[in-house]
Amino acid sequence: MPTVVVMDVSLSMTRPVSIEGSEEYQRKHLAAHGLTMLFEHMATNYKLEFTALVVFSSLWELMVPFTRDYNTLQEALSNMDDYDKTCLESALVGVCNIVQQEWGGAIPCQVVLVTDGCLGIGRGSLRHSLATHNQRSESNRFPLPFPFPSKLYIMCMANLEELQSTDSLDCLERLIDLNNGEGQIFTIDGPLCLKNVQSMFGKLIDLAYTPFHAILKCGHLTADVQVFPRPEPFVVDEEIDPIPKVINTDLEIVGFIDIADISSPPVLSRHLVLPIALNKEGDEVGTGITDDNEDENSANQIAGKIPNFCVLLHGSLKVEGMVAIVQLGPEWHGMLYSQADSKKKSNLMMSLFEPGPEPLPWLGKMAQLGPISDAKENPYGEDDNKSPFPLQPKNKRSYAQNVTVWIKPSGLQTDVQKILRNARKLPEKTQTFYKELNRLRKAALAFGFLDLLKGVADMLERECTLLPDTAHPDAAFQLTHAAQQLKLASTGTSEYAGYEHNITPLHTDFSGSSAERM
Amino acid sequence: MKIFSESHKTVFVVDHCPYMAESCRQHVEFDMLVKNRTQGIIPLAPISKSLWTCSVESSMEYCRIMYDIFPFKKLVNFIVSDSGAHVLNSWTQEDQNLQELMAALAAVGPPNPRADPECCSILHGLVAAVETLCKITEYQHEARTLLMENAERVGNRGRIICITNAKSDSHVRMLEDCVQETIHEHNKLAANSDHLMQIQKCELVLIHTYAVGEDSLVSDRPKKELSPVLTSEVHSVRAGRHLATKLNILVQQHFDLASTTITNIPMKEEQHANTSANYDVELLHHKDAHVDFLKSGRSVLLEQPRKSGSKVISHMLSSHGGEIFLHVLSSSRSILEDPPSISEGCGGRVTDYRITDFGEFMRENRLTPFLDPRYKIDGSLEIPLERAKDQLEKHTRYWPMIISQTTIFNMQAVVPLASVIVKESLTEEDVLNCQKTIYNLVDMERKNDPLPISTVGTRGKGPKRDEQYRIMWNELETLVRAHINNSEKHQRVLECLMACRSKPPEEEERKKRGRKREDKEDKSEKAVKDYEQEKSWQDSERLKGILERGKEELAEAEIIKDSPDSPEPPNKKPLVDMDETPPVEKSKGPVSLLSLWSNRINTANSRKHQEFAGRLNSVNNRAELYQHLKEENGMETAENGKASRQ
Repeated sequence: MPTVVVMDVSLSMTRPVSIEGSEEYQRKHLAAHGLTMLFEHMATNYKLEFTALVVFSSLWELMVPFTRDYNTLQEALSNMDDYDKTCLESALVGVCNIVQQEWGGAIPCQVVLVTDGCLGIGRGSLRHSLATHNQRSESNRFPLPFPFPSKLYIMCMANLEELQSTDSLDCLERLIDLNNGEGQIFTIDGPLCLKNVQSMFGKLIDLAYTPFHAILKCGHLTADVQVFPRPEPFVVDEEIDPIPKVINTDLEIVGFIDIADISSPPVLSRHLVLPIALNKEGDEVGTGITDDNEDENSANQIAGKIPNFCVLLHGSLKVEGMVAIVQLGPEWHGMLYSQADSKKKSNLMMSLFEPGPEPLPWLGKMAQLGPISDAKENPYGEDDNKSPFPLQPKNKRSYAQNVTVWIKPSGLQTDVQKILRNARKLPEKTQTFYKELNRLRKAALAFGFLDLLKGVADMLERECTLLPDTAHPDAAFQLTHAAQQLKLASTGTSEYAGYEHNITPLHTDFSGSSAERM
Repeated sequence: MKIFSESHKTVFVVDHCPYMAESCRQHVEFDMLVKNRTQGIIPLAPISKSLWTCSVESSMEYCRIMYDIFPFKKLVNFIVSDSGAHVLNSWTQEDQNLQELMAALAAVGPPNPRADPECCSILHGLVAAVETLCKITEYQHEARTLLMENAERVGNRGRIICITNAKSDSHVRMLEDCVQETIHEHNKLAANSDHLMQIQKCELVLIHTYAVGEDSLVSDRPKKELSPVLTSEVHSVRAGRHLATKLNILVQQHFDLASTTITNIPMKEEQHANTSANYDVELLHHKDAHVDFLKSGRSVLLEQPRKSGSKVISHMLSSHGGEIFLHVLSSSRSILEDPPSISEGCGGRVTDYRITDFGEFMRENRLTPFLDPRYKIDGSLEIPLERAKDQLEKHTRYWPMIISQTTIFNMQAVVPLASVIVKESLTEEDVLNCQKTIYNLVDMERKNDPLPISTVGTRGKGPKRDEQYRIMWNELETLVRAHINNSEKHQRVLECLMACRSKPPEEEERKKRGRKREDKEDKSEKAVKDYEQEKSWQDSERLKGILERGKEELAEAEIIKDSPDSPEPPNKKPLVDMDETPPVEKSKGPVSLLSLWSNRINTANSRKHQEFAGRLNSVNNRAELYQHLKEENGMETAENGKASRQ
């Protein structure tokens, strides 16, 4: 979940706050202090998060494009100038553009808006934007809801009383509403000071930037892992099951499947599974990710030399070309696999399937998957040359069977010509001829298209008259028989127009005596 | 997403009154002239479909698309209306396929143009449609049962698609009024019923269809709310392909479908890849060769042109078991780019993981579907996935992750035992094989065969041969003990193991000497060699007691002192727990069953032999080594502390 920090640099942010010691603080200093804390937290505990920094007043500017380099972000914080008035809408439009350009419309992003709750004046002020919200056309659509899955966190450099004294809070709440309720407003508890700003940003960190730690288990083999990005709660059905599902912190492997069998399944999200070393208190002491910090380096080096189940699992998954099926919760599964990037760096990844008893139709119900040792004979064959997958769907899809569609004339013409082609190759093509004939008959009866049956009967009779002298005598008998049967069906009487009835070839015998049954 | 949205239940009401038998007045040429035919043949006159045929064909196409994309949970109820309502199927999943519907339609047949128009009306069908919408589907029932006290969360909404030939706008209004009134009535009925549900929302889609060339007597009207429960929209459409197109648009709207056209598909399959003919397929009307290509299990990647002129791979088409899936591939930057490689993380520097063995383990723990229900002994339903988890638990009770942590898993000779001992139950043959394995190992020990003991982290040759066997036996015991509670037969394997390895050293020594004496007599030429062996063996025997005691400390000291870069074996515990009774004062935590048991065995064993001289004479559990060398040669070799490396 990439983050965009949107920092208000309008003049109102330079308003002084109460004096602490000898230094005079402005609101922007408080904001920078809070963001510093956020960046420091990310640099240590959430280092794979991409963050961008946007500043805005009546104009907006992308100060730092998406990066994992928190030093750059930190530096940018100290190089901010003061500008004119707040114009939130254009900044939010800017955020839309930046995010869509970089990540497209499918990746969830977190937008951290830092402002003092002064929402600007006149055109471009938030009040003006909201007042004209209903008069928008598609071309000047209000940027909320964001055109990508999002959370909008509004960090106010003001306390609740101050915001409530005007309609600022209402306007900001309106913003969250417009974002389909995705987001939250944070205000400073008590007087504006560094300590209270810290506690406000602390709450944001707890909510949105705590790393997801879990234990990966395969029987008795276990490893502590961090799952990045954090798996987001998922609502299966907002109506009958409105409580968002969250994945277990015990990720239990239930078995293995060949990559060829699982194929490319549809997934909700993909995550890195990083082994971590935890100390006794459960704090992370190292992910093994290289860092400048010396202490951490040595801790990482030690961690690097302790055998870890993730590395073993990853190695074998990669070599064998398999995935591990992992249980994420009740009726919720995912898969673990090895993935290499373009630089040949390899990693353990986890993809989440959609919650439900049967996320991948070709595997069947997940609960019905069991160990091969329970099967009478190895379903993979003794030489590993078979597979129990894919399971066939109970009802074939229309494209996997011979469905008749005559909406376009070409569909009908093709079917008629197929019959005609086979009619000219009688008696060799007797089976195909009748198969096609019966298919057409069935469809015509279902569609109530009896004129077609009459037409095709006429055509077969004409074909009969056009048979060359060299033709096999059986051809004429079959054509006459078929035409007669179609004509009977075209009367629509239940006796001859039964849907399940099939026209069968006329029984003739040209080897011995003449066609006795004519 | 909502399972029980309007799309859960669709009722088709198709007019079967006499006027529907009229021609749509769109001709179809069906007798196409083929090349090389005799000249002078006049093709048969074109035919045309009736309004009925057009309506049925289009609604079948709607259902085909819906069933193909949503094989479950999207249901259709098909009703035809003339002098009464004919309900052709039910909401049950078995009734939800084209074959069933086609057969039912064939049984109904085309409308009878000579029937009395006064008796026939679409109203019968509309009333039946409302009635059927109140009926609960199996999915609704299942969800209600599952949600228990929250059963009211299960919605009941639906859509009525009515294809008719209306007389005027006021006729349409009359139809709408009728539906509204019927809903009102049936909701009252449903309120007092357990197996009916009130309709919360109904979307009425009225399609007025008429022959091409006629003037429409009904005007289009966008969706309008007639009541909080009922919305209605009116479409006035010419019959023939216009009607089919309309229903195609509607199915896309109703089920939120998108149309993707795939262009430049090579004609035929790969054997004709050289031909340049290409064709296009819109991904709602496909039943072409291209699809067969996919059905063979291949995937196709699709490219999309970008504004800049470049192309980007945007979609993937693939088939699983005859079902085609279209995947959207992300074409923007990945948030997972440049991740730390697994080799840079925890455990990334360890190089001797048992990758191949774990691969074998994964293959043994592959999953397969069990479609028929199985029952446990107590009669309860057995869940295959739980069985899979149980098996993983059993197979991992003792599973060292790296090669240098294990001896037995590096030995081919142990495989017959190791592969069966993890099983839930053993056959007599399995037990026999395990016993054979153990006897075989005893034999190897007698013959002094080398063992694949890891020398990683130790300089020189590592532990002595008999010490190697001790390590091996201990490890094997750990493995077997982890499974003794599986069955009585597992227990027997352990008994065999304990019996074979627990011989007091004195006895073994005697045996060995005796055997060697015989050897000597037989092969006198080897006498010198044998003597040397025996001597070294004696030496090692003397060291044994000391080693046994100090092994752990020594091994650890060795690793840390001598090669600081080597990894510390973290899981060495199972190896030593077995033979080293933890001193009572050291064990602070709760005592495991295993250590209780080993304690007992060790105490029992210690009574059977004399304590070694080294241990008896030790100071602070330390004994000076090679005292005899000192005595004999007066050299101080023993003091440099390298004895353990011989």
